[in-house]
This record gives sequence, C-alpha cells and structure tokens, in this order.
Amino acid sequence: MNDNEAEVISRCQQGDQDALKEIFDRYHRKVYRVAYGVVRQREDALDIVQEVFIKLFRSIKNFKGKSHFYTYLYRMVMNTAIDHTRKTKRIPSSTINEDEGFQLSDDAEKRPDRILAHKELEERVKAAMEKLSPDQKAVLIFREVEGLSYQEIAEAMGCSIGTVMSRLHYGREKMQEMLRDYVKGGRKDESPLFLSI
Amino acid sequence: MSRGEGRMNHRCSSVSKLLEKYFDQEVTDEEKRLVEGHLPDCPACRETLHSMERVRNLIKSPVEVAIGKESFPWVWQKIEREIRLKERPTVRESLRSWLDRTPLFTRRVLIPAVVAIAILIFVAAPLLFKKSTSYPGPSVVEYVESQTYNVMVYELEDSKGTVIWLFEGPEKEISTS
Repeated sequence: MNDNEAEVISRCQQGDQDALKEIFDRYHRKVYRVAYGVVRQREDALDIVQEVFIKLFRSIKNFKGKSHFYTYLYRMVMNTAIDHTRKTKRIPSSTINEDEGFQLSDDAEKRPDRILAHKELEERVKAAMEKLSPDQKAVLIFREVEGLSYQEIAEAMGCSIGTVMSRLHYGREKMQEMLRDYVKGGRKDESPLFLSI
Repeated sequence: MSRGEGRMNHRCSSVSKLLEKYFDQEVTDEEKRLVEGHLPDCPACRETLHSMERVRNLIKSPVEVAIGKESFPWVWQKIEREIRLKERPTVRESLRSWLDRTPLFTRRVLIPAVVAIAILIFVAAPLLFKKSTSYPGPSVVEYVESQTYNVMVYELEDSKGTVIWLFEGPEKEISTS
C-alpha cells in the first residue's frame, strides 16, 4: 500500500465519499472480474459490485492496515459473491445472454450454430464451476482470472500457501474432468480465441 | 493432474510435481531450468500444461469479454445514491441517537431519577388509592323560616334517611330523622 492509497483509505474511514470514489475508480474492474468469475452473469456481477462498495464504505473502519488493502477487498468481494450464489441457488440459474460468454471474433463465428456452441460451452463452464467447493472456486478465480500469486491468495483467504496449492490442484483437476471434451486436445468446433492459449 | 502416463519418461515423476508451480510462475530459477529442459522431450508434460492453459482460458475468457463491454459510471451513481439514502436516519434511529446524546438519559442521572420516582410512587400510592371514609356533607333540600320555627330538611347522600331540623330560636333546636 503506497502513501497515497493509505491517505485515501484514511479519508474513506472518516466517511469521505470522494475517497470512496477514488477507491472505486481504482478497483471496480478487479471487483467486477472476481464477481463475474463467480456468478458468470452480468446483472448479478453488477449487483455484487454495488453491494461490495456500499459494504466497504460502512466497514472500512475495520481495516487496520495489517494486510494489503487489495487482499482485504478481494476477500470481501469473494465472500459477497459466494453469499450471492447461495442466495440465488434456489432460483433456477439464468441462461447466458447472447452477448455474454466467449468472444465471437469474426462473421463466421457469429453464425447461429457457432453462437449456440459458445453458449453451450459457457453453460458447461458455469455448471462445472458450480460443482466446485466455494474455496476451490475462490482460489481458481483469484489465480486464473486475477493472476494473484499463491502468497496473495493465501492472504486474501486467510490460509496457508500449502492450502492454496492443494485447493488449486484439486479445483483444476475437477474442472479438467468435468470439461474433458473441451480440455483434452480441444474440440474441433472451438473458436480461434479458445484455441489461442 | 491426470496425464498420458504411457508417454512419461523417467524424469517426469520429479518434474510433474513442479509443473503446476511452473505454470503459475511460482518456481525458483533452478526449478524453471529443470522444467524447461524437460518439456521439449516430453509430450505428456506438455499436454498437462496445455490442459491447465485450456482450463484457465475457459474460466478467464468470458470474464474478459464481459468487462470489455461494460461501462461503470452509472454503477458509481447507483452506489452514491444508495449510500445517501442509507445515510438518512429512520425515526427510530433518530430517537435512539437523541437518547444517546441527551444527558438526562445517561446512567449517572437516569438511575437516581428512576429510584426517586419509584420511592415517590411507593409513598404516594396508598394516599392516592385510599378510599375516603369521611362522611359526606349533607345537601340541604329545603329551608323554611318563620316567626316561631325555622325548619331545615335534608337527605343523606345514600338516601337512607331524611333529617329535619327545627329551630325554635337561636338557642334551641330539635332534630328528627
């Protein structure tokens, strides 16, 4: 945490909304990425972003500066997103909108059959992620989406690096198993983006 | 990580333990050299790495697409509005905060005050609720004056009788009931 960030946090702790705006400007994309990574649905992810910043404004007084601010925020986002998933579990999971999911890179990709294939793929990924435990899901998103180091993930989740590695390993293994058709050697109908890894 | 065991060579067992750390860029320089020296000769380990990359891509790509399409200024406006709304206290919160601030309701004042009120009630209650036993004053129904007698008639309050007073003069009087 640099001096400027510490000063902004301190102002926010005193109830300064402009300071919250500065934090929002700095972190809203990260918050959205984690939220979207968990719920995989635009509206829900945006709801989580709002909820997180409102919650942050009320509880930032509890941040004592013993850890990095971003790991504190990541923990808050993850908890909020996982809670959100629990609450909405009773409601049948919404289908992915046409403009969500994988990038359709050219006109050929925008053919109805390709759109359908992409939608099906994203539904499969979503279903597979729902089968992971909340902890496995959290480490996978922190690592694969946000690119956090093991140390940063451990700090955000309040566990050891060994635990992070173990959760990551079993999470990946489960995902590979559940998405076997897409992972092992790739499928013939994969989009160029999907193959460009 | 599952892999094509049939194609593993003898160095796989030691390198495979490092593959995930290598993929996550968490290896030391020495471990990195070891893995990179092994990969060109081992299709199984390369496939393991590719599988991890594909899973990463499946998880990450839709997130990148989604964030590329999103604009956030309106999200901030909603947050700001929500905070402002929640900042306005409810009647209950206002009352509570007034009670918190008022010195009358601090413990130092409140406890003696409650004790004093309790003593006052304890002392005054018997007086307040005691039934009055005093005989109610009779109400005069009629009063007649003449040269010889003055007569006063009145009824008792519970209508159990009528009292007639006869006054002969200032000194004498006869009462019947």
